[in-house]
Amino acid sequence: MEVSVIGNPQARICRAELAYRELGFRFGSGESRNRVTFCNQSSKWKEIAIRCSHRSVKCEAIVSDDAPPFLKSAPKPKSLESVKLFVGLPLDTVSDCNNVNHLKAITAGLKALKLLGVEGIELPIFWGVVEKEAAGRYEWSGYLAVAEIVKQVGLKLHASLSFHGSKHPEIGLPDWVAKIGDTEPGIYFTDRYGQQYKDCLSFAVDDVPVLGGKTPMEVYRGFCDSFKSAFSDYMGNTITGITLGLGPDGELRYPSHQHDVKRSGAGEFQCYDKHMLSALKAYAESTGNPLWGLRGPHDAPAYDQQPNSSSFFSDGGSWESQYGDFFLSWYSSLLSSHADRVLSVASSAFSGIGVPLCGKLPLLHQWHKLRSQPSELTAGFYSSNGQDRYEAIAEIFAKNSCRMIIPGMDLSDEHQSPESLSSPESLLTHIKTSCKKQGVVVSGQNSSTPVPGGFERIVENLKDGNVGIDLFTYQRMGALFFSPEHFHAFTVFVRNLSQFELSSDDKAADVEDETVSIGSGTGAPSLRTA
Amino acid sequence: MSTVPIESLLHHSHLRHNSKIYRGTRSFFIPCSLNLPSHFTSNKLLHSIRTSVGASSKHRRSVAIRASSPDTAVVETSQSDDVIFKQNFPVQRIEKAEGKIYVRLKQVKEKSWELSVGSSIPGKWILHWGVSYVGDTGSEWDQPPEDMRPPGSVAIKDYAIETPLKKLSEGDSFFEVTINLNLESSVAALNFVLKDEETGAWYQHKGRDFKVPLVDDVPDNGNLIGAKKGFGAIGQLSNIPLKQDESSAEVQKKSKSSSDSTKERKSLQEFYEEMPISKCVADDNSVSVTARKCPETSKNIVSIETDLPGDVTVHWGVCKNGSKRWEIPSEPYPEETSLFKNKALRTRLQRKDDGNGSFGLFSLDGNLEGLCFVLKLNENTWLNYRGEDFYVPFLTSSSSLVGTEATEAAQVSKHTPKTDKEVSASGFTDEIITEIRNLAIDIHSHKNQKTNVKEVQENILQEIEKLAAEAYSIFRSTTPTFSEESILEAEAEKPDIKISSGTGSGFEILCQGFNWESHKSGRWYLELQEKADELASLGFTVLWLPPPTESVSPEGYMPKDLYNLNSRYGTIDELKDTVRKFHKVGIKVLGDAVLNHRCAHFKNQNGVWNLFGGRLNWDDRAVVADDPHFQGRGNKSSGDNFHAAPNIDHSQDFVRKDIKEWLCWMMEEVGYDGWRLDFVRGFWGGYVKDYMDASKPYFAVGEYWDSLSYTYGEMDYNQDAHRQRIVDWINATSGATGAFDVTTKGILHTALQKCEYWRLSDPKGKPPGVVGWWPSRAVTFIENHDTGSTQGHWRFPEGKEMQGYAYILTHPGTPAVFFDHIFSDYHPEIAALLSLRNRQKLHCRSEVNIDKSERDVYAAIIDDKVAMKIGPGHYEPPNGSKNWSVAVEGRDYKVWETS
Repeated sequence: MEVSVIGNPQARICRAELAYRELGFRFGSGESRNRVTFCNQSSKWKEIAIRCSHRSVKCEAIVSDDAPPFLKSAPKPKSLESVKLFVGLPLDTVSDCNNVNHLKAITAGLKALKLLGVEGIELPIFWGVVEKEAAGRYEWSGYLAVAEIVKQVGLKLHASLSFHGSKHPEIGLPDWVAKIGDTEPGIYFTDRYGQQYKDCLSFAVDDVPVLGGKTPMEVYRGFCDSFKSAFSDYMGNTITGITLGLGPDGELRYPSHQHDVKRSGAGEFQCYDKHMLSALKAYAESTGNPLWGLRGPHDAPAYDQQPNSSSFFSDGGSWESQYGDFFLSWYSSLLSSHADRVLSVASSAFSGIGVPLCGKLPLLHQWHKLRSQPSELTAGFYSSNGQDRYEAIAEIFAKNSCRMIIPGMDLSDEHQSPESLSSPESLLTHIKTSCKKQGVVVSGQNSSTPVPGGFERIVENLKDGNVGIDLFTYQRMGALFFSPEHFHAFTVFVRNLSQFELSSDDKAADVEDETVSIGSGTGAPSLRTA
Repeated sequence: MSTVPIESLLHHSHLRHNSKIYRGTRSFFIPCSLNLPSHFTSNKLLHSIRTSVGASSKHRRSVAIRASSPDTAVVETSQSDDVIFKQNFPVQRIEKAEGKIYVRLKQVKEKSWELSVGSSIPGKWILHWGVSYVGDTGSEWDQPPEDMRPPGSVAIKDYAIETPLKKLSEGDSFFEVTINLNLESSVAALNFVLKDEETGAWYQHKGRDFKVPLVDDVPDNGNLIGAKKGFGAIGQLSNIPLKQDESSAEVQKKSKSSSDSTKERKSLQEFYEEMPISKCVADDNSVSVTARKCPETSKNIVSIETDLPGDVTVHWGVCKNGSKRWEIPSEPYPEETSLFKNKALRTRLQRKDDGNGSFGLFSLDGNLEGLCFVLKLNENTWLNYRGEDFYVPFLTSSSSLVGTEATEAAQVSKHTPKTDKEVSASGFTDEIITEIRNLAIDIHSHKNQKTNVKEVQENILQEIEKLAAEAYSIFRSTTPTFSEESILEAEAEKPDIKISSGTGSGFEILCQGFNWESHKSGRWYLELQEKADELASLGFTVLWLPPPTESVSPEGYMPKDLYNLNSRYGTIDELKDTVRKFHKVGIKVLGDAVLNHRCAHFKNQNGVWNLFGGRLNWDDRAVVADDPHFQGRGNKSSGDNFHAAPNIDHSQDFVRKDIKEWLCWMMEEVGYDGWRLDFVRGFWGGYVKDYMDASKPYFAVGEYWDSLSYTYGEMDYNQDAHRQRIVDWINATSGATGAFDVTTKGILHTALQKCEYWRLSDPKGKPPGVVGWWPSRAVTFIENHDTGSTQGHWRFPEGKEMQGYAYILTHPGTPAVFFDHIFSDYHPEIAALLSLRNRQKLHCRSEVNIDKSERDVYAAIIDDKVAMKIGPGHYEPPNGSKNWSVAVEGRDYKVWETS
């Protein structure tokens, strides 16, 4: 009798935990999975073996009964099994008065996601909300409240530290920074018409003490330190990832389209603020071409013009000239050194807490089929002598032990308009390959608005065994996300992810010719069995 | 030893297992093996531990099962260098005190009687009582005459008295209060309940008030005590687990015919009755555990200290390899250790010198990952930590984890079955975790049955859908960017599939069978019965009856005891008769269910009315937390608040369960066919779906009434936002009910009053109300008891009512006709329109083509067979192949039909 007191609780736990697995839902043992997936492949195998062994005889019984295929369990190592799914919270989750917006909706939504088997939540944390009032005065209460909810629901949290502003919903840079910007407009990116992009500081001021005697990097460092101490209780348990904002919308790029939402053209160079121009001038003088340092390219097309409409980006145009190489090398070097600065500030701030850091790249797929790839050039991605421009960036990530987030995993070539000469698929493959070469772990995201066939495309991307993507963040929670149509599609997507892993169980456990369909069907060749 | 305690332990470990996994996997463990080095029993260590325990463990007696405040200081910091784990676990032992309540009626002298109520268990007892006077009906209380109130009594509003019980004498454990009865007054009975302010528990008699009759003809609802009832009177006391049942209850009854007091009270007899009660009292103790790493031997030294009284045995094992499985470490073991069936070790803790508790030291090998244990107090009492084994992890480093974990009360399970899942501060997470676990438990128990697995899986999916719908509706209300198309699509997809769900046949015509004054006669049900034949011959198919429950307001919308169906409209029997009568003539009957709020029976300790009585004796957990007037302890409201009464927290499982039961009971007992749901703005539509799924109404309609939009006092042409809110609500119920089309009424108001008939076509050429978007769920109406009748909160333009009826009785949606209009001068015209609707078989999904919507005339053709126009302007239906003949005609309206 007394034995059962001792023995049974554990047995029950195992069984209950297994029951979760049965449904393909992932919770309960999330922590160990986390730890594992950040390690290399071989240790994962080991971990799984251990887990199975301590799960007592009972699990055998469950596996062997003939439940419907997708209810079956027994984790087997395989590509999709290790993909953890995150969902982004609304950008305005915390208002600039540090209130939690749509609290009820978020709470209900989190519960739904938890039940669905989602691993965690991405939370955008805005500089302009936390350090709104004055330099060094941090107000974390709103975000802490969200972290607590996430923790209590039992989800993981991925914090995105956003040093940029947003237009929809409108969240600016901190008030005190904006005030400085009013008198010192040079801190913002500026285009050749003198228009400022006020949602992000210019890369040229990274190490210039423009913020009340401090450099932006020092301010970011203070922000990271404050974040680390405010959330110390959550680090490593609830918070399993931190993303550093690297530029406009958090992505590592110049705001080459400023706020031109249509993005019909290739964008424009943003090198016309005071600091950029003086840096350009200095660079030109140091390379012996002082005349090249007076302004940016004169023959680049305007925002709404086709890239080929003027000579800069056309075949044999300025971009291929010596001047082009001069300018683009300089322009892109500011981008990569900005990435390096931010990531190294962060990796020193967060060293020793065991939470992986991430940075996000843009997927500049428009005009990718043009030889000049102008969208990438205006955004700052260039490498002279035909070197791999993404590999250079990946190297910086590798140096700082950062993971790379690549968005647009839902985009497929066939849904792009032919005029835009766009190719998201090939660009994505390119970046992934560059990362692989440098040993940078890739996480996926979708583009912010749903696209036709998006979910199928995501599944295909995740199944791609070439580059193991183990984390995918779906953007973004909100009314549209929970609308009956979309949420249904999302549910199917989640199930497809788990069905994929389970279907090959089926094969392992035989069941003859009965093949289980796998979501999209197009990815059959990459289906890997255990 | 019974299996009960084991079960409850299991239950708990189950509920809590998630956090266990959590703790287990977070830390890095190092392996170890066991030894007991003598140098660690050094006085210094023991001394320091003992002091700290002495400081932190006050032996408290407190009540209920709530988490006590965490104690943090456990071990002196001076030696925390090598401390790898320290935690103080507060534990509670629940002791059950058993005793009795007694009620004694005694004649002191001629014409002087006294009633004593007492309890043998210590507590802060309060008698909460009132009287009924001769001639009172119903279950309401009145205040007793002044001279009956014992000293120290406090009046509670105008109907009750609270009198504390006093110790009979010092040293005596009995508490008692005595009331001197005033037999000159016309008191017919004395009603009371007992309250223990210490635990907040209410003690009732068979789920009702105790009632001591003082005259002969007190109606017996099964809760009488004394005189006439004898042995049968002793029954279940509602709040407490009862061990004995009545057969074994000790009952003494001395009945001595009281000589001849007063004529009407000649049968008053002395009696004495006892009822067993029990009360759970929690004892707070603590267990503090400190694990240290011995630098010399790299052993882990665990010390366990507790102030639990008596012999305490630690039942323990060690963990290796990341699992929490108990394993037996290698020898040597501490003193007084025995091996238990090769599965665990048992070590009796040594009593401390001062007698206050005991302690033990365990030295374990450095490469073990942790120590698991439970405490055994005696054969039947096991003690675990919040339903799980205590667990002491041995970390690799003494860094962040030390002592950071918040501690909550551990619980002891004894013979008492677990009371209930106490909702903690983090209510909602508990809820979800419980949900998930329940689902998992279900899965587990049915794991061999495919169908059940499927069922459970469906349950989960449904739960997910429900939550998503909730999130959607809130997000959407704050993001007004949703386009209309998607709503139309959603509509096209969803509703029309399940025609049966709460929407009747589609050919229903509703009659609102009362107005604001109907309660005045006291016999409305009977009056209505007489009209049954006439209403049936007019062509009505559904009748909406007034709210049937006991209510604080005579109209019935302030319900109190939901199971008391005697109201100002008549008795429950008259109600049942009425329903039967209408069924006989082929009319379905809707009950008016007020689910948003409920009036309380009692005040809480702050004097706020939020405690309920009657069969559904909910406490303040049933009241939403965000209305400061009622100090609810429930969750925040899922909708708007109705401020005159406590709003019910529908997110509570017990509330929903009770409401479902009640609705089903009303269906069964009264014979209702469906529901009109009052003030559904007050709570989330998803709960309504739940209720509809449980009660399966033939027809149901909710009142979602909020304001239309106006700009500078002028009604906006576009009322999409308004109808959207109603559609959202219907959507939240998954289309299980319809809703009153308030939008249509509002637009009709302006269109008719200001001669702006163009308003009756929306930009897409459809009707501008809910009926234009989701006709099968729209219940169109022009007046009800609130908007019209003697209240007139939002009266339809006078004199233009028939235009309104010409519109709603020809258009899709389910029309509802107000009682006052039927029995007015409009009777013949309404009758003609009703007859036309039935003759032409117009229904809730009929197709409407708007032919004209101009300043002074609106015209439409419905299902190609009925044409109508309202407004002073001219209209004739198109002369085509159809042969139109005038069917009904009146002031500013005209209706044609094809022949």
